[in-house]
Amino acid sequence: MKNGSITTILAGCMGMALSAALFAAPALAADKTVKIGNVEPLSGPSASVGVQGKQAREMAIEEINAAGGIKSLGGAKLELVYADSKSDPTVGVTETERLINTEKVNLLTGCWNSAVTYPATQVAERYGIPFVVPVAVRDTITERGFKNVFRIAAKDSWWVRDQFRFLKDMQDETGVKLQRIAFVFENGDWGTGFAEKWRELAKKDGYEIVLDEPYPSTATDLTPVVTKLKAAKPDVVMLVSNAADAILLTNTMAEMQVKPKVVLASGGGHADPKFLENTDTNALGIFDEVEWNTDVNKPAAKPANEKFKKKYGYDLTGESVDAYVAMYVIADALERAASTDPAKIREALAATNLTTGPGMIVSYDGVQFDETGQNKNAGIVIVQVANVDGKPERVTVWPKTARRAGYVPAFPANK
Amino acid sequence: MTAVIQAALNGAMMGAMYGLTALGLTLIFGVMKVVNFAHGSLLMVGMFSAYWLIRLTGIHPYLALVIVPPVLFVFGYYLQNVVIKPVFKAEGQVREPLTVIIVTTGVWYVLDNLALMLFGAEYRTVRTAISNKSFALGEFIISIPKFSGFVVAIATAIGLALFMRKTKTGKALRATSLDREAANLMGIDQYRIYNIAFGLGTAIAGIAGCVLIPFYYVYPSVGVVFDIRAFIIVVLGGLGSIPGALLGGLVIGLIESVFSQFMASTWTEAIIYAIFLIILFVKPSGFFGHKQDW
Repeated sequence: MKNGSITTILAGCMGMALSAALFAAPALAADKTVKIGNVEPLSGPSASVGVQGKQAREMAIEEINAAGGIKSLGGAKLELVYADSKSDPTVGVTETERLINTEKVNLLTGCWNSAVTYPATQVAERYGIPFVVPVAVRDTITERGFKNVFRIAAKDSWWVRDQFRFLKDMQDETGVKLQRIAFVFENGDWGTGFAEKWRELAKKDGYEIVLDEPYPSTATDLTPVVTKLKAAKPDVVMLVSNAADAILLTNTMAEMQVKPKVVLASGGGHADPKFLENTDTNALGIFDEVEWNTDVNKPAAKPANEKFKKKYGYDLTGESVDAYVAMYVIADALERAASTDPAKIREALAATNLTTGPGMIVSYDGVQFDETGQNKNAGIVIVQVANVDGKPERVTVWPKTARRAGYVPAFPANK
Repeated sequence: MTAVIQAALNGAMMGAMYGLTALGLTLIFGVMKVVNFAHGSLLMVGMFSAYWLIRLTGIHPYLALVIVPPVLFVFGYYLQNVVIKPVFKAEGQVREPLTVIIVTTGVWYVLDNLALMLFGAEYRTVRTAISNKSFALGEFIISIPKFSGFVVAIATAIGLALFMRKTKTGKALRATSLDREAANLMGIDQYRIYNIAFGLGTAIAGIAGCVLIPFYYVYPSVGVVFDIRAFIIVVLGGLGSIPGALLGGLVIGLIESVFSQFMASTWTEAIIYAIFLIILFVKPSGFFGHKQDW
């Protein structure tokens, strides 16, 4: 047993741990439960997303257990064990150690914060316990050659990759040709990071960059930027904005009658609920990028969202969707592993190819991990602000397979 | 070239409004010799007043311009009378004007946090009759709310200058500004004049609030964004000078708008400060900085 040999080394200082580990496996089989450890920010600055993830996990586990648990393990039930990371990497690491050594979990999930996930997965790798990361976007989490780390959500750099995929797909679909591209972004880490990748991909896809404009988020007036944008005559405007400047830019563009064929934002300020309230019809036609939208056209999505909303009083979010899917991915792997041995679970996870079932409420078509442990099918949703029943609403348009039924995207948004 | 002229037009309109936000600051400084750190908060109060008035009653923003400033005048008058005057009066025990500056800082924090408690941190805008409307001047687009703001700013500056020259109260304000002891000896009630100056400064912040709200959003710390700018404008134009505030505003607005046509707009901030430093070096008193400027 691989896990046993690693534990033996550690047993030099922790004799207790060894005997407990050897004792744990048969005990679990007898109890017919599989323990899933979850390190999540349940208090502190990211507590709200932590709680979203917790509730989604609970809903998924309830469904899986009610449907008979893991049949290949004699109907074993899944059991969730939580640890609060408080969004603190140090706490995340000690809690992960505790879950492995004291709680004897069979596998782990978490941690939303990239800063916590990065060292916590390192601990799991050391013990050889499989760690399923529903979401934590930092690229490098799956780029360290680890064997036991599996990420379901798209990584950071894919947000930009999918913006360009979207542009290409839509041009192919509609026959509209886009050539001149403009970048307008807030001058913080986030905006400049995006812009760097934009330049690279725009060059590769053969666009002509006609404007590359950072601006300070605290600006009192963005008319100078919009004036420049007007003069540059772009076909596509790519934006990274915080809440206040997203509002100001959208309203100023309407005022100055700047109407590029496509405006594509990057979440953040444009995804803020206050954005539509403060821009109203000026925002119509804008494309924005999100992890998930309530209207994605997948058979399981609508009932799952309705159930979740009834249970907890709000719609599923990007984080909760990923957490929900993670439980189904784990159940699927356990079924195929027919064992609670971490090494066998790891092998089963690596061979995952989940495309159907109640867990598939994501916008993309399946979960399948590449050799780094990254779900290679993961992707982002592009929504368009459209007039639905007289009110601006965010409607899923891309990927095409997830597009809201009956919606024809306004592409170009302006002639 | 079109873009540069368009930028200049916009810069002039925004600049006049920056000048308007600085006008109250310069007036209060001119008369009371106190830097009012609460000025940005007073602007925030003006914006929130205009916001709620328009939001709740749906009146035209031009009409709000008649209602909000008088209310803000009363607010400023009593703010000075109740909160700041006692500090002035305790001349013997406090280090004036430093203590007064600390008091205005306190007012700033209280007002901002009060707004935060009452209205929350989110950004709010209100659709008015003139929001997002514009007209074409040849090939240039002129935003109606900004153009109105420009006209109101110029009119306010002229009106204030006339008030200071022609009316008895205005003359009393100027006299106090020149020499408060002498003015006192001539029978001018120094504290009443301070109340009026503070009231007027607040009322002007109310006017600024009314012209900003049709195109800008309001949130509890919105004053900070304009405040830093207002301080530069006031020093640039000459502390206490009415035409100086307007000119300072125009200069900043034009730099911000026109320069950003030739470079990334993040740089214009640096250029504003560079020009500010150069002017301080060449003419430390600002464009119109005299001891008696009205």
